[in-house]
Amino acid sequence: MVKKENLLVRSGLHMPTHIELNGNTEAIVDGCGGVLEYDTDVVRIRTGKLIVRFTGRDLVIKCLTADSLVVTGYFTGIEFLV
Amino acid sequence: MLSLKITRWCLGYVRFSVTGGSPERFFNYCARSGIILWNITSRSSSSAFVASGLYRALRPLARKAGCRLRVRERHGLPFLLRRMRTHRGIVYGAAAFAVILILLSLRVWCVDVTGNTTLDSRAVLSALAENGVSPGTRIAAVDTKRVEQKLMLMFPKIRWMTINTQGCMMQVCIQEKTEQPQIVEQNGVCNVKASATGQVTAIRVYAGTAQVNLGDAVAQGQLLVSGVVEDALGGSTFVHASAEIIAETSRSCEIRIPLRQTLREPTGTHVVRRSLQLFGADFPLTMIGKPKGNYDVSGTQTDVKLFGTLLPVSLYEEVWNGMQAKSVEISRQQAIVKAKEKLLEYEKSLPGDAKILSSDVSDRIEQEVLIYSASLKCEENIAEESEILIKS
Repeated sequence: MVKKENLLVRSGLHMPTHIELNGNTEAIVDGCGGVLEYDTDVVRIRTGKLIVRFTGRDLVIKCLTADSLVVTGYFTGIEFLV
Repeated sequence: MLSLKITRWCLGYVRFSVTGGSPERFFNYCARSGIILWNITSRSSSSAFVASGLYRALRPLARKAGCRLRVRERHGLPFLLRRMRTHRGIVYGAAAFAVILILLSLRVWCVDVTGNTTLDSRAVLSALAENGVSPGTRIAAVDTKRVEQKLMLMFPKIRWMTINTQGCMMQVCIQEKTEQPQIVEQNGVCNVKASATGQVTAIRVYAGTAQVNLGDAVAQGQLLVSGVVEDALGGSTFVHASAEIIAETSRSCEIRIPLRQTLREPTGTHVVRRSLQLFGADFPLTMIGKPKGNYDVSGTQTDVKLFGTLLPVSLYEEVWNGMQAKSVEISRQQAIVKAKEKLLEYEKSLPGDAKILSSDVSDRIEQEVLIYSASLKCEENIAEESEILIKS
C-alpha cells in the first residue's frame, strides 16, 4: 500500500508535522496520524513519532481529514510526548 | 467560508451522534477513508457533521469501531425539496417564479422617450420598434449605438440622443435642434416692387429712391423704390432698397355652398373593444370582432405606472361609433351663415398686416349652389423686394 504523504512532504518541505497556532483558540495540525483521545478538555493526537496533547476548555475538532485536523477552544497547555 | 457553507447546504448534510465503542477510532477510520467530518464534539455527547451522501459509508466504519450512529439533524436543499414533495404546488410555483423572473429580467419592459418637444413620441417609438427596440426585445440584442445613429439619421431634428438601459427599462433621452433663425438678406442690391395692385396711401422709404408718390395708383409688379441712388454730382450707387409702401387694395372671393349636402350622422350604435397589451402583444379582453359597415373609430391607450415607472402593461380601448350618410337640404339662410363662417376664415388667412377697411357682399343661387361673393377693400404693405442681377 502506498503511504499517503502530507502537504509539507509533498511540497518539498520534509517536515513530518506542521502545527499552526492562532492565539490560544485554534490549532491547525498538518501531518496528523490520528486522534488518540478526544474530550472537551483534552485532545491527544499522533504526529509521526510524537504525541501532541492539547489541554483546555470547550475543545472541538472543527475538521478532520486523513492527515490534518483543526482543533478549536481555549487552550491552557500543549505537551509533546515521546 | 461562506462559499463552503453554501456548497454544503446545496449538497445537504446531517448531524449524527456516536454512542458506544471508541468514537476516536471511528473518527480515525473516517479520516483514513477520505470521509471529511466537521464540528466533531467530544466524547460525552459525541456527534459530528457529514455530507448527506457519505452517511451510508459511515455505517461499516462505525461497526468496526463498535459505535452506533444515529442521525440527529438534517440540513440542506435535498431535505428541503424532500419535505416540499408533498406540496408540489409550492415547488412548481417557486420554479415558475424563478423562470419568469429570469426570463423577464432579460427583456425590455418599457421604452420611455424624454426630452422631445416638437417630435412626436409615438413617431420615435415607432422608429425605435423598426430598429428593434420595443417592449419584449432581449436587452442583450439591442445595439444602442447603432440604434442611436439610425434614429438621428431618420429624424434630422434630433441634435443629440442616448439610449440608457435602467434595469429592464430603456430610457431614450432626446435633445432637439434649435431652429436656425431666418436671416434677412441685406447685402444684395435690390428694388422694391408692388406685390398687389392698389392706391398708395403711405410711403416710408428706408433706403433707395422712391418712384411713386402718395395717391398714385400702382399695378402689381410696378417699381416702387429703386435700388439705384443718384448723388448731387450725377454719380450713381447701388443700394439694398428697403421701404414700407401702404396701399389700398381690393380683394374678392367667391364662396360656394351647395344647398343639398350629404352629412354623416351617428346612428347611436357603438361598440367598445378592449385589449391588454403586454410586452407589445395584444390580448383581447372583449370577444367582439371588428364591426362591419360605416363606423368611426377612436382609440385610447392607458399606460400603467408603478411609482412613476412605466410598466409593460397597458389597456387599449377602441370605441366604434356607427355612422350613416344622410342627404339634407339646407335653406338659403343656413347656407349664408356657413358662407360667412368661410369668409371669416378667408379674412384670417390674409397677410398679417392687411387691415380690412370695408367689405361688399352679395349672394345668388345657381343650380342649387349658393354663391357668396365678397369684395374687400384692404390696407396693406405692398412693398416686395426684388433682386437686381448685375453682370460683372
